[in-house]
Amino acid sequence: MPERTSLARTLRRTALPLLCAGAGVTLLSLLAEPLLAQGYTPREYGDFPIIGSRAAIWIAAQLHLFFAAFVLGVPMFSVVAELIGMLNKEERFDKLAKEFTRLLLISYSATAIWGAVLVFALITLYPRVWGYLAEVFAPSMWVYVGVFFLESLTLYLYYYGWDHWKKGRAKWGHWGLGVLLNIWGTLVMVIANSWVTYMMSPPAEVTPDTSPSMVRFWSAFANATWMPINIHRFIANIVFGGAIVGAYAAFRFLHAETDEERAHYDWMGYIGNFVAISALIVLPFAGYYLGREIYEFNQQMGTTMMGGFMSWLWVVQAFLIGVLFLAGNYYLWVGMGRIPGAERFQPYTKYLLAVLVIGVMVWATPRNMIASRDELTAMGGQFHPFLGVLGVMSAKNTAVNLMILTTFLSFLLYRRANKRPTISWVRRGTTIQGAMFVISAAVVLFFGVYGYFVPPIVRIGFSVYQVLAVLTTIIVVVALDVVMMRGAESRGEIRWGQMPDRSQYALLILAVTFTWLMGLMGFARSGIRQHWHVFEVMRDTSVDAATPALGYAAIVISACVLMFLGMVSFIFWIGGLAEKPVISGVGSVPPPEPATGD
Amino acid sequence: MTNLKILGVVLGTLALYTWVANAIPQLESVVPEDLSFSADVTEEELVAAGQELFNGGGGCITCHGLVTRAPNLLTDHEGQGTIGQRCATRVPGADCKTYIYESLTSPTAYVLEGFDPMVFQARVFSGAQIWALVAFLQDQGGVVTVTGADVASAAEADAAAPVGGPLTASLDPLEVMRVNLCFGCHILDGEGIEIGPPFDGMGSRIDADRIRRSILDPGAEAAEGFEELLGQMPPTLVDMLSARQLELLVQFLAGQGG
Repeated sequence: MPERTSLARTLRRTALPLLCAGAGVTLLSLLAEPLLAQGYTPREYGDFPIIGSRAAIWIAAQLHLFFAAFVLGVPMFSVVAELIGMLNKEERFDKLAKEFTRLLLISYSATAIWGAVLVFALITLYPRVWGYLAEVFAPSMWVYVGVFFLESLTLYLYYYGWDHWKKGRAKWGHWGLGVLLNIWGTLVMVIANSWVTYMMSPPAEVTPDTSPSMVRFWSAFANATWMPINIHRFIANIVFGGAIVGAYAAFRFLHAETDEERAHYDWMGYIGNFVAISALIVLPFAGYYLGREIYEFNQQMGTTMMGGFMSWLWVVQAFLIGVLFLAGNYYLWVGMGRIPGAERFQPYTKYLLAVLVIGVMVWATPRNMIASRDELTAMGGQFHPFLGVLGVMSAKNTAVNLMILTTFLSFLLYRRANKRPTISWVRRGTTIQGAMFVISAAVVLFFGVYGYFVPPIVRIGFSVYQVLAVLTTIIVVVALDVVMMRGAESRGEIRWGQMPDRSQYALLILAVTFTWLMGLMGFARSGIRQHWHVFEVMRDTSVDAATPALGYAAIVISACVLMFLGMVSFIFWIGGLAEKPVISGVGSVPPPEPATGD
Repeated sequence: MTNLKILGVVLGTLALYTWVANAIPQLESVVPEDLSFSADVTEEELVAAGQELFNGGGGCITCHGLVTRAPNLLTDHEGQGTIGQRCATRVPGADCKTYIYESLTSPTAYVLEGFDPMVFQARVFSGAQIWALVAFLQDQGGVVTVTGADVASAAEADAAAPVGGPLTASLDPLEVMRVNLCFGCHILDGEGIEIGPPFDGMGSRIDADRIRRSILDPGAEAAEGFEELLGQMPPTLVDMLSARQLELLVQFLAGQGG
């Protein structure tokens, strides 16, 4: 009977996404027919009431992307968590993975619905663009639908088979389903990325006179920015998934009624934050790669992005990333309050905070900004007499690398807080770890300062050495730490659940900031095409052809984030009504008795 | 109460970011206006149109508003005056109008020492737009010599050769290279400037396939000794050649054995 109920539920939940996919297939087939042959001339643009076509398509695309990022990021985490649970025989990780997948299940329908809304919006508001893209990419659109179908089936098998295939080889088979789910999800993403990136960077042989039927498919598919976007989105989805899970855990923690619930959601929040910040650390490197490829494709586009009308966007981005680093570290420092033995590290947090604050200030210092004559006069020249020195890439790269090192140090202190290593060479190992930190910081600083004395083309290369120094330190120190902490004694159980509420609000701020940042970067990626639907191939001749200023973009982004969080909250609430949350069995340790002195 | 607190934190965070983004200077990317001038266009009309392009859709101030990427054209540069004052003295034998026009249509032709070649892509602008820009720049301290005749002939040229198509029908490799301004960066038998790899002896250094690839996708692979210039050659050159011209050029350059 339970199997039959489960099957019915599966079919019910499968039906909606599949219906949406079916609608997309039908529309695609309609568009594949040459409407012109019937003597009908399709309009170029449609109208959307009140907010206009641009805002309408923007909101539809952004909401679809938010949900898509979530349903792509969470399975990556689930499958890793399940594997950890299997290898370490820790059931709490398995339960955590299952709870994440339960959230995923409900969000999947929303992703499909917003995907359908986006397709309808494109067809009705931008029929010329849609027709063009459909003609260039028709084969991949069919494949997309097929993969989407397989992804849906795999997801439902993965979730509903969780308790059925939980032992022995069957468990490994179940984990294989999770891996397969990730493969389908990644395939869906890279196919859709090709459509978006083609609009940014069409192949050189495609001109305004090139008929879409003459565009070579693979050349259009694997265009110049396709792979950098794939990598960047892949990592960003992990960050996003971790952040939303963290926010979910924070929400549940704040509403928890028992110590057991609080302990479970505290632990889940920590894991979500750990995933998000860990992936965030490598995201800037993917961003550099993407930026470099944009410059390679078209220098004018690159210059528009970094120094043109979008130059101020990067100041806002620096502000947001500053918030992420500060909130992420703050959460860890507060979390040390529930770890016996962490007291010995707490005096150092003020120095870590100082490095982060100074780093954020340097990173947010503008340099190459478009300025009016009045603004130049007020500043006393093109650059500020003192702060202008901090605006160059040498200073910014140095700042961000030191911020990454600092955040890594926070994680390391957190990790070691309640452990007492038992190996004989612990002092030597710790000295090596400390030396690695000092050396990499010195390398970062050296190249940061030296960069002021060499030509720009040489200076750009220095960022590679800085990144390598930081990455090497992270890898070596972690590897060393894993070995050093084997068989370590515990200084006491982590008191999961005994976190002040303010730490949970930090998790919520992290999620809001990640989501907003994703919207901002989406605006940057799309906006650098300026008045082109397909860059220098298909011109935007609509009334909304001009790319809006950042203020307007911020209002749309905030509206999208609010709608997304509202819908996610509703979905989670509905999910909570349907099924009881799976409590992982993380032990909640009572607080120590207050010292009673004489 | 907890829900209200959560809502407050979310709304407060969103409000803060929205405020920050609205507190900074608001720059909109303007669409370059299509210009259709007749032969009796006035100087004032040209200058006004050029000014709008320069400050807006042309994207010029992205670099020329900064001293780091490009010389400022509207203010003095190293004591030589504004662009209208210094344009006539930049290249011997080239008057102000010719100098600015060629600088716009062939950004690698006259690169000022200490700066990178300009990234402006003239091919996406009409002849009238280019001449309006020239008139505006001449007007910065100089005398505007652009006339309606220049605009009219540009319009005829636009009509004859659509943007993005071959610039010449010639099958003489040297002529094709001259028209496409290859000698703005490459040198052959003393003709041209040696910024990029010289055409002299090219066939002894690389084969025809590599030459073809370098024209089709110049950003893909750097020439030995010119790594720092990777990405500087316009990727649009191939759009300006017919298939036969491309093959002629490839075979011609492959035959330069030194």
